[in-house]
Amino acid sequence: MSITPTEWAALLPLLFPALGACLIPLMALDRDQATTKWIRAAMYLVALAAVAAGFWFITDLWKAGAQPGFHQLHMDRLAQFSGIFVLVAAAMAILQSWDHFHQEGWVKGETLSLLLFSVTGMMLFTATTNFLVLFLGLELFSLPLYSLVATVRHRAEGAEGGMKYFLTGAVASSCFLMGGVLLYGMSGSLDLTTAALSIRAQGLAADPMVLAGAALLLLGFLFKVSAAPFHQWTPDAYEASPHPIAGFMSVATKGVAFIALLRIFPVSFAGMGAVGVRMQAALAILAVLTLVIGNLTALVQTNVKRMLAYSSISHAGYLMLGFVAGTPAAYTGVLFYLVIYLAMNMGAFGLLTVFGLVGEKTTFEDLRGLGWKRPAMGFAAAVFMLSLAGIPPMGGFYGKYMIFKELVGTGHVGLAILGVLASLVSAYYYLRFLVALFLQAPSAEAERLASDRPAVHAPLAGATVLVSAAIVLVGGFVQAFLADGFAHRALSEGLGLLR
Amino acid sequence: MTWLNSHPLTFLVFAPALLGLLLMALPQSVGKLTRLLGFLAALAVFVLSIAWLLGRAPGSAPLAEHAPWFTIVGLPVDYALAVDGLNLWLVLLTTFLVPLTMLGTWNSLKDRTGTFAALFLLLETGMLGALVAQDLLLFYLFWEAMLIPMYFMIGVWGGDERRYAANKFFLFTLSGSLLWLVALLFLAGKAGSFAPAVMAQAASALPFATQCWLFIAFAVAFAIKVPLFPLHTWLPDAHVQAPTAGSVILAGVLLKLGGYGFIRFAIPMFPQAAIHYAKPLALLSVIAIIYGALVSMVQRDIKKLVAYSSVSHMGFVMLGLASMTVIGTQGAMLQMLNHGISTGALFLLVGMVYDRAHTRMIADFGGVATKMPIFTTFFLIVTLSSIGLPLTNGFVGEFWILNGTFLSGFAWGRAYAIVATLGVVLGAVYMLWMVKRVFWGPVNPDEDSGTQHLHSDLNPREIAVMLPLVVLILWMGIHPRTFVAASEAPVTALLKDANAPAIRPLILPAAPAPGALEATAEGHVPASHEVHP
Repeated sequence: MSITPTEWAALLPLLFPALGACLIPLMALDRDQATTKWIRAAMYLVALAAVAAGFWFITDLWKAGAQPGFHQLHMDRLAQFSGIFVLVAAAMAILQSWDHFHQEGWVKGETLSLLLFSVTGMMLFTATTNFLVLFLGLELFSLPLYSLVATVRHRAEGAEGGMKYFLTGAVASSCFLMGGVLLYGMSGSLDLTTAALSIRAQGLAADPMVLAGAALLLLGFLFKVSAAPFHQWTPDAYEASPHPIAGFMSVATKGVAFIALLRIFPVSFAGMGAVGVRMQAALAILAVLTLVIGNLTALVQTNVKRMLAYSSISHAGYLMLGFVAGTPAAYTGVLFYLVIYLAMNMGAFGLLTVFGLVGEKTTFEDLRGLGWKRPAMGFAAAVFMLSLAGIPPMGGFYGKYMIFKELVGTGHVGLAILGVLASLVSAYYYLRFLVALFLQAPSAEAERLASDRPAVHAPLAGATVLVSAAIVLVGGFVQAFLADGFAHRALSEGLGLLR
Repeated sequence: MTWLNSHPLTFLVFAPALLGLLLMALPQSVGKLTRLLGFLAALAVFVLSIAWLLGRAPGSAPLAEHAPWFTIVGLPVDYALAVDGLNLWLVLLTTFLVPLTMLGTWNSLKDRTGTFAALFLLLETGMLGALVAQDLLLFYLFWEAMLIPMYFMIGVWGGDERRYAANKFFLFTLSGSLLWLVALLFLAGKAGSFAPAVMAQAASALPFATQCWLFIAFAVAFAIKVPLFPLHTWLPDAHVQAPTAGSVILAGVLLKLGGYGFIRFAIPMFPQAAIHYAKPLALLSVIAIIYGALVSMVQRDIKKLVAYSSVSHMGFVMLGLASMTVIGTQGAMLQMLNHGISTGALFLLVGMVYDRAHTRMIADFGGVATKMPIFTTFFLIVTLSSIGLPLTNGFVGEFWILNGTFLSGFAWGRAYAIVATLGVVLGAVYMLWMVKRVFWGPVNPDEDSGTQHLHSDLNPREIAVMLPLVVLILWMGIHPRTFVAASEAPVTALLKDANAPAIRPLILPAAPAPGALEATAEGHVPASHEVHP
């Protein structure tokens, strides 16, 4: 069997990171990573090169407007969007992890290898409608993440968080699998689009078996986006994992789950008529639940990482509201939101590395006064937090603006009001971050400890933070370019919506 | 220069922010230089605004800029700025108060002066942008963005309770504007645009109940900013905790944006709903007038007294707007300027005495007049203006407002006007009582008292700050027409559009004769009013 050039073009974006993932463990075979500095640098360079190669290849595809395919793998605009999204997040995570793992004193090549495997899985996950390939992608990106959470082995809570994430994740995966099996059994097709058509043709849309299948499938997605009530793993897993990995999980896992859902939901679920309506109703209820639980729980956190974890739960709520509105413009809003969310969350987690907070030292107390000591980082922090709260002129405002506009336009005024109230609550805990950075002086003891320690040096993480801040800030002024040129095209040309 | 000729408003609005961002990048060690640069920038903006906005040939087209900005989710957003009769003097008030406040509080802050100046310039952009924006989403963006610098100004440089006050200010204002955003999105979705005229047209096609809900959403967002009773609770905290410069700008400009929002957007876009809700609005305004005055009376802290007096004074503004008469609305326009000048001046004066004595408690003073005669003179003039003595600005504004309310033709008009007049009396009570306890009488004999710490009278810098304010107080009191002539035509047009058939004949001059308003300024209001039944 020979592979044609277009088929290669669809495969290569996935192969680059996979290749890098395979190469890195080989590099470190007979070397002690703890002592050989150039091996560390080389591993990081290989990881970055793999990500960069994939990125360049996909942007080339995007510019050329090509949408190659390889059997069940469709490297269309939406998949390219997701590829760019994941690779940028991965690049930032890799850069931040260089600094962070040196702070932790735990630099291991396998971390990068696992991260790259996860990237491959994510790209696969969003590039298909075939249930089996979808499941393959899901497992390929989830399994490395389980171990990444626990990667710093000398920290006890690492193993705990990893285990929690793994056990709950395994249940969610099996539910996802069961849902797919039910749909396959009822329709006789593994491709979810065809399955939806066949189910509708047979008039089985209201069949409890189909409903159960669709609901279980949805559960798999909702687990990955950490929507309530499937969110409990999130704070523990984030708290346990190294900062860059937590940032990567909060952005990429949620992002690809939403993008994959975007491929399935409007075409397949809505295609099944009654099922789509019920799934939308379920999403509305769960979105409300997610917003309420995420925001109210975030209010009372004393640990910054747990606050950010609950904040990421609440952002899943806003994104789900986009699905509830269910218009093409709302889906554009969801993708736009993800772009800004990538920058602001990678930036926010990057700040923890930049400020040199290691281990459990991630409470608001540990941030006090740091904004004045590191003005550029303080400025970036203000940009991220205000954007997360949805205050203009930051980019985060426009994500909410688009989603709320469509919610109001489709008659969900009550949900929109709840959404804005939720973001009012969220403003309080995001402000707490800024209160600690700017409005509170460090305690005398913290000052004394800080003077004993060497100055924190995190140039690479600092660079990613600045880049993220620039994206968030500029995103508030080029919103039309991002929404029309990027998000909208991914939908219209990739998914065939909005034509 | 050609770009500048066609985009003067863009320059005025964004130059402060760009400079502010540049200044923010300067290190803390050159804070004094940064402060000087910030002041010069603000001064330049003021000079340019005077030259460009007032120095225009009569009859030339109003300053306006209009360009499409972006279209997402099917809604076009325009970059539309304009200066017209409604916002001309508020814009000038803003550009005037910013450099003046910077100068007036030159030495008040001890650390991070550079960052403060930079934030001040960012705030100026937010305020100017909100004042000149003619597209509702653009207005919303500036309206929200304005919160950010003010939050930090209160939170970083404020008093002991600054974190609480800053959070309360931010969240309170945000709560109103977020709900307003939903109403805005709803209406914009119906209208397909954020242009106020188009949205007003779409609103008039909606059922009356919907219009009322939308008006309430608009009104609550603006009323929080004004602040109207019972939404005022953030104000005393914010005012008292904010540094002097923050209080001045908060009172001088930020509160005005609430009233401006009513007259620019809420009333013209929902005229019927506005008339429908005129009575509750007026009732709340009267409560604010009386309640603010009563609470001022029992304050022990001078700054808190001035803060609550703001509630009372802004109640007058809202009463004038609710009267739906030309004279009342013009009075409200003037009262907004008055309050900006007088209360701004009061906060500056309180700041000056606080810098010397490090206390603001009334009981800590007594006999200040013998220690600081120049200061006392200024304080007395400003106090009289705040009370509304004839020949000062306060009198004209309050008189027009009460007059408009009395003659409004609403059933409640006369009663409310009478009760509100009581507020004027109460205003005199709390201000004069405070003046008596602080300035007159023997010097406070206590060694630790504030009076004992007053070693110097106002220096030339402080006198230079107060002089223009006093000149304005008298100018506005003697010849108010300078400041309300521009808004006469738009206000008249606005109230004609407000479809109130039952009361229109009584409240509107059919064709305002030239100089009609001048006559009112000289106190012949009832006469000139009865000419147009």
